[in-house]
Amino acid sequence: MGSPLAVHSSGLEVRFGSRIALHAVDFDVAAGEFVALVGPNGSGKTTLLRTVLGFLTPDQGSVEVFGTPVLDLAIRDRARRVAWVPQEETLRDNVPLLQYVLYGRYPFHHPLDSDTEADRVLARRILGDVGLADRAEDGILSISGGERQRAILARALAQETPLLLLDEPTAHLDVAHQLDLLSRVRSLSRTRGVTVIAALHDLNLAARFSDRIVVLSRGRRVADGSPKDVLSEDLLARVWGVDADLAVDSRSGLPYLLPRRLITETRPAPSSLSPGPVHVVGGGGAAAPLLRALVDDGFRVTAGALHLLDTDAETADSLGIVAAVEGPFAPLGAESRARHRALLEEARVIVVAPFAVGPSNLANLEDVLPFVGRVPVLLVEPPAGSELDFAGGAATALRAALGASGAVAVPDVAAAVRAVHQALAPVSTASAAPSPVEG
Amino acid sequence: MSTATLRPVPTRRWAPGLVILVGGGVLVVLSALLGAVDVPVQGGLQILLHQLSGGQLFPDPCRGTGWSSGRCGAYTFIVWDLYLPEVLLALVVGAALGIAGGALQGVFRNPLADPFLLGISSGGTLGAAIVYVYRIGVGHADLYLPAFAFVGAISTGLLILAVARGRYGSVETLLLTGVAIANLLSAILSLVLLYNPVSGEQVTFWLLGGLGLADWQVDGLAVGAVLILGTLLCLYGRELNLLQLGPDVAQSAGVDAARVRVRVILLASLVTAIAVAFTGIIGFVGLVSPHIVRRLAGSDYRIVLPGGAAVGALFLLAARDISYLAFPRVVLPLGIFTAFAGVPFFLYLLYRQRRLAPMGGG
Repeated sequence: MGSPLAVHSSGLEVRFGSRIALHAVDFDVAAGEFVALVGPNGSGKTTLLRTVLGFLTPDQGSVEVFGTPVLDLAIRDRARRVAWVPQEETLRDNVPLLQYVLYGRYPFHHPLDSDTEADRVLARRILGDVGLADRAEDGILSISGGERQRAILARALAQETPLLLLDEPTAHLDVAHQLDLLSRVRSLSRTRGVTVIAALHDLNLAARFSDRIVVLSRGRRVADGSPKDVLSEDLLARVWGVDADLAVDSRSGLPYLLPRRLITETRPAPSSLSPGPVHVVGGGGAAAPLLRALVDDGFRVTAGALHLLDTDAETADSLGIVAAVEGPFAPLGAESRARHRALLEEARVIVVAPFAVGPSNLANLEDVLPFVGRVPVLLVEPPAGSELDFAGGAATALRAALGASGAVAVPDVAAAVRAVHQALAPVSTASAAPSPVEG
Repeated sequence: MSTATLRPVPTRRWAPGLVILVGGGVLVVLSALLGAVDVPVQGGLQILLHQLSGGQLFPDPCRGTGWSSGRCGAYTFIVWDLYLPEVLLALVVGAALGIAGGALQGVFRNPLADPFLLGISSGGTLGAAIVYVYRIGVGHADLYLPAFAFVGAISTGLLILAVARGRYGSVETLLLTGVAIANLLSAILSLVLLYNPVSGEQVTFWLLGGLGLADWQVDGLAVGAVLILGTLLCLYGRELNLLQLGPDVAQSAGVDAARVRVRVILLASLVTAIAVAFTGIIGFVGLVSPHIVRRLAGSDYRIVLPGGAAVGALFLLAARDISYLAFPRVVLPLGIFTAFAGVPFFLYLLYRQRRLAPMGGG
């Protein structure tokens, strides 16, 4: 209808060195709209806002604010058209709220002016709008986090701009204050016709408050439309890599999302149908390559008995492996041994990593002994010339005993994984399992 | 952060301003009678009033003192040509340091910033050392010394600003550049002094700061320059207030953060260089004065800057007086006394900072 768009930009490209933060982004916002910018971390939401503010010079394309290229405007004139509410503000002085809000009047003053009575009246009215009317004399560091975010909003509103940008304004707020802040912005936008662009993390908040949702992913605009049109299970899977359920709120008619779990394409999550469990005995990092290889091949893996904080325990933890653990550097106690034996009991194959054995973890080898002959036990040989026995010969003796009673020696991790595959292959090829007498 | 550890927001009160004004006036008058030689109060006051009124009051300034005319002339010379210029120079230099300290604390968003932050002291010292070592303008030290010190000081400030401004214009880069160049200059100074041990003593005395160069001509120059530069700095109070919220927020509210930063640093460097030129390096006045104002009247830079000037002026004058009172008939370097008052305060600030909020330049 002839009136210029609040924001018009086309083919916007912003690079940081070799990284492209915004890639050919077209972005228009009509006057009076409430637009939510959403996207995963690093998708370019903040970069887009900063470009609209004129903080960044795009490598290609340009941004027009109400019909004028933002970079053509003097900084003072920009501040009379666009105001900004950052995620948080570094405040170090306990400035009274009234004075803080008056800072927003800067673009209307010359160096020698002092704040006018009109400014004070306006500032008090805005403090009232954000629900801080009775806190005008309180210091900004003395109020709560939710109130502070509202004070920051008030400072931005004091600029009396037709366009307001918010960069994740609710990031540090609890759910009540999130709703409170965005409701206030929403109603100010409705009553005063202020155009709002808000980068939001929370998709449900975005759906609840915005007229339009713009989705950014890796610097590109990948979806744009009303919350109902844009939010979908497919979008969440594609952009966020999250498996989510979409439902419609019966009262508001708005869509809401319930995220279920992360989608990992590379490795199917092990289920009770995966072959196994394969139990790995290790410690000190000797079992880590084995754990990774077995998980990668889709086995259910357990481990034990590991010491907290050692590489094997960390690896097991990061791979989601169930493990029997003991406190750091402590001798294996009755509890961890019992848990270890329970895991051994369950195992269909036991693999003994070439781990260093001292008095504190000698029990690991002792506990394996009863299972030789019941299930296949694989003994991964240590690399040539490495000394693993720090238990005065007891470890060497136990390893020999394991071999003598039927454990199979394998030269390395790859061979061990091959042997596990054979041992757990479907019944028809079960005869290919290594024979216990071989070792 | 609990509310209990925060001090209440100081409301603007007139009392501290009034105390400073009246106390300051009394201090100035009494200071003019205080020095290496004590001047009797009655005669001294009469001489002061006689001179200030252009001879209208007390046409015979030494009446009732029983002084011979020679003695009267000597006291007149002491009060009018020695002490009063010293008092005036102390006021001007203190004001210069106070305002420069406040401005730099604002622009660097760091409560520990002081006027000598950007290597200005090293540059000034090197300039002064060159005058002593190469015996430039012997017999005209009062002319060449401030000139060289000023040039050394301001060119260091400009150099650092130019180096840091180019590509990486962050406040942190600027600070680190200043520290690096200051160290380089100190090394050069040490090298120069190593081969000129005699000048070393003179340079050391200069390093500790003093009012020895004061006369009416110096004062006129200093007052004029500091008045102009200080007024210009005070015009940036509003911008400094907004810069405290971070350069981005300041810019979104209409402040050209980069331009304001360069201008304020430039003006603060100039005003510091003038102080350094006439009095050498007087530490801690610039650090402490703005903080005293903040405690009394809040952290609005429109108050902190002029207030810092007032407090700095009185602080330096008080330091001068204390040095004369504590060690009569000796002229001791002023820097020592400002340090005695400044260091405990500095430590107090550091301690308080830890309790209150994480500190940092960011």
